[in-house]
Amino acid sequence: MAAGEPVQTAPRRTSEPMRLTKPDLNLMKTLHVMKLDFLPPAVLAAALTCATPAWAQQPAPSAPDNAPFDAEQLFASTCGWCHSDGGRAAGKGPQLMGTSKSDDFIRERIKNGKPGAMPAFDGALSDAQIDAIIKYIRSLKPQQG
Amino acid sequence: MKKQPSYLAVSVAISAAVAIGATLAASPAFAQSVDTARIEAGGQNDWLTYHGSYKSYHYSPLAQINTGNVANLSVAWIHIPGRSTRGLQSMPLVADGVLYYTGSYSRVFALNGATGEVIWSYFPELDEGLIARQTHSPYNRGVAIGDGKVYVGTMDGRLIALDMKTGKVAWDTKLIDSQKLTVGFTGAPLFAKGTVVIGAQGGEWPGRGPIFGVDAATGKKKWEFLTVAGTDDAMKTWGSDSWRTGGGGGWMPGTYDTDTNTVLWGTANPAPLYDWSGADFKTQGARPGDNLYTSSVIALDVDTGKLKSFHQELPHDAWDFDSAVGEFLMLDRDGQKLVVHPNKSGYIFVYDRNLAVKNVWRITQNSNFVKNIDPKTGELIGRRDFAAGKVEEPLCPHISGGVSWNSGSYNPKTGLYYKLGQEWCMTLDVMKTTPIVAPQAQLNIGANFKIAPPPGGEIYGHLDARDPVTGAKKWEVRFPEPPLASVLSTGGNLVFVPDSRGTVHAYDADSGTELWNHSDGTGHQGGIISYSAGGKQYVAVVAGFGGMASDDYAPTFGGVYKSMPRDDGALIVYSLK
Repeated sequence: MAAGEPVQTAPRRTSEPMRLTKPDLNLMKTLHVMKLDFLPPAVLAAALTCATPAWAQQPAPSAPDNAPFDAEQLFASTCGWCHSDGGRAAGKGPQLMGTSKSDDFIRERIKNGKPGAMPAFDGALSDAQIDAIIKYIRSLKPQQG
Repeated sequence: MKKQPSYLAVSVAISAAVAIGATLAASPAFAQSVDTARIEAGGQNDWLTYHGSYKSYHYSPLAQINTGNVANLSVAWIHIPGRSTRGLQSMPLVADGVLYYTGSYSRVFALNGATGEVIWSYFPELDEGLIARQTHSPYNRGVAIGDGKVYVGTMDGRLIALDMKTGKVAWDTKLIDSQKLTVGFTGAPLFAKGTVVIGAQGGEWPGRGPIFGVDAATGKKKWEFLTVAGTDDAMKTWGSDSWRTGGGGGWMPGTYDTDTNTVLWGTANPAPLYDWSGADFKTQGARPGDNLYTSSVIALDVDTGKLKSFHQELPHDAWDFDSAVGEFLMLDRDGQKLVVHPNKSGYIFVYDRNLAVKNVWRITQNSNFVKNIDPKTGELIGRRDFAAGKVEEPLCPHISGGVSWNSGSYNPKTGLYYKLGQEWCMTLDVMKTTPIVAPQAQLNIGANFKIAPPPGGEIYGHLDARDPVTGAKKWEVRFPEPPLASVLSTGGNLVFVPDSRGTVHAYDADSGTELWNHSDGTGHQGGIISYSAGGKQYVAVVAGFGGMASDDYAPTFGGVYKSMPRDDGALIVYSLK
């Protein structure tokens, strides 16, 4: 055994080039960012991927008729573990359906989180996405059945 | 391997140098070196690794506290770590009368095991902006010790080694780009044969779930095993390039098999947690295929990180019932060397040392994600693979698991395995999501859901005393809310269960009769151990609630959970009056 010698067992993540898929490129066109070069790589990566719902609106070949609109999908991916039943019921986080909080309050809470209770999504979600989530919350109705 | 200088000699020199300071008072005996042989032996008085010893019994042979006198157990001392955001989840370790444990934000403490006096403490400087963005944070589940150092992982992707005597940083190695991946280390590391092994979080995030082997002496990375498509064969089990969606990881410490020089580790689930593939999961959905090596147990060479064997407990895990539980009971039964590993689903797998399935049994009553798991082959029978949309029959168990990530306890004197099982379910609405193919900042769940009682019943948890190989049950104790903490059994014929309401219970190991209980003032969801210092036996337990499972308790159960803090905690240590 060669003690202390680094052993490569599999491709390292860092060696993976960041491949831009077609939707990514479309997204880049739509991003209202003056110069992507100015963004730190982490923010760039987050911006590129967290904005997936923007290109989810494109017709996907296998999308079912009841394909969810983007904010619903975004909510299920990142928010639903804590805000149960798509935000309709209390879970780790409060029930959001019918909330009396203002848009400004919700926007501020999504951006900055609440230490120990909710993560901050500033930098991960764009202002447009946060607005879409607020709209989604305002549209929530009890599930049928 | 290069021979390291004798730690005994070093420790004597340091003790002499600081003889006037607190260290001498706190270390009545000159500390011996903690090495692989000593951890394997699992000394009578110590608790040298997360699972007690490499056998992973969570058992102390100490019998000073026993069924005859446990009624006289009372608090000896308390330590408050402060800033216990989302409670305390650490498994304390003890070597030569000194107790080492962690609080949230990877705060490390070395305490005099007899008095609680602080010998040293270490608060790492962390990337607080990053931590504010994380969902499974900032709790920490403990340290590893060995070769004169204490090892702790951080939420910003580092593994840090501290001098065991002084708490001074020996090395600080950045292992993952947490800024990019938003994941880090919450689990305790494992020390074995000069290597420190630690696994990253990963199940809900795009990434490849690395497990690392780091040189204990230098902090230099020796190897990295990727639980997502880490071999050419595994790459073929992620259709549509879905390895980029990733997941995996191994966020709880496994153990080490000294006979074969092998690290045994459990891995987490693939992302997204819930798939819309329906029955054709081999070719359809978010991640077509088996998704190796997620929701698997893996055997890695401790020196090289090379995969020696594995068993995927849940091929194409579509329920987040992963294998990340780090408990690997090493048993000798009728001349056979067996390994027992609980899967989060509540099925308990029994393997030989090459991870070939020998038996599978179930600890939960309410389970319907599969009809059964073949006890001979481990094959899933009658699995439920969901299509997009509302799932009609609630899924059992709940996402928090049929068993928690915390550990049960095996008592070699009674031959019984004391393990908690949870009865709870969830309603589920699976969402078809767009592939997330590069690291993003947050979770990738793929469904909306809500906790629900089992069909026709109430949520509850139960401590079972069972044969670890056959699953035959001797007795059971029920709890109105699932206890989430680890279990301890001792040579005094006792089983200790710290429950969620905040009470520690002691049961007769043979009958399950409750012999003692005491309130710690807040819920438990971490470790419990026993050790001896200055000839006296102690039981140490961490109290402090909060986290992915316990955050559901206030809205679900109300009662004492409504006012229970989720940013507080204490280490409470008991001894006989």
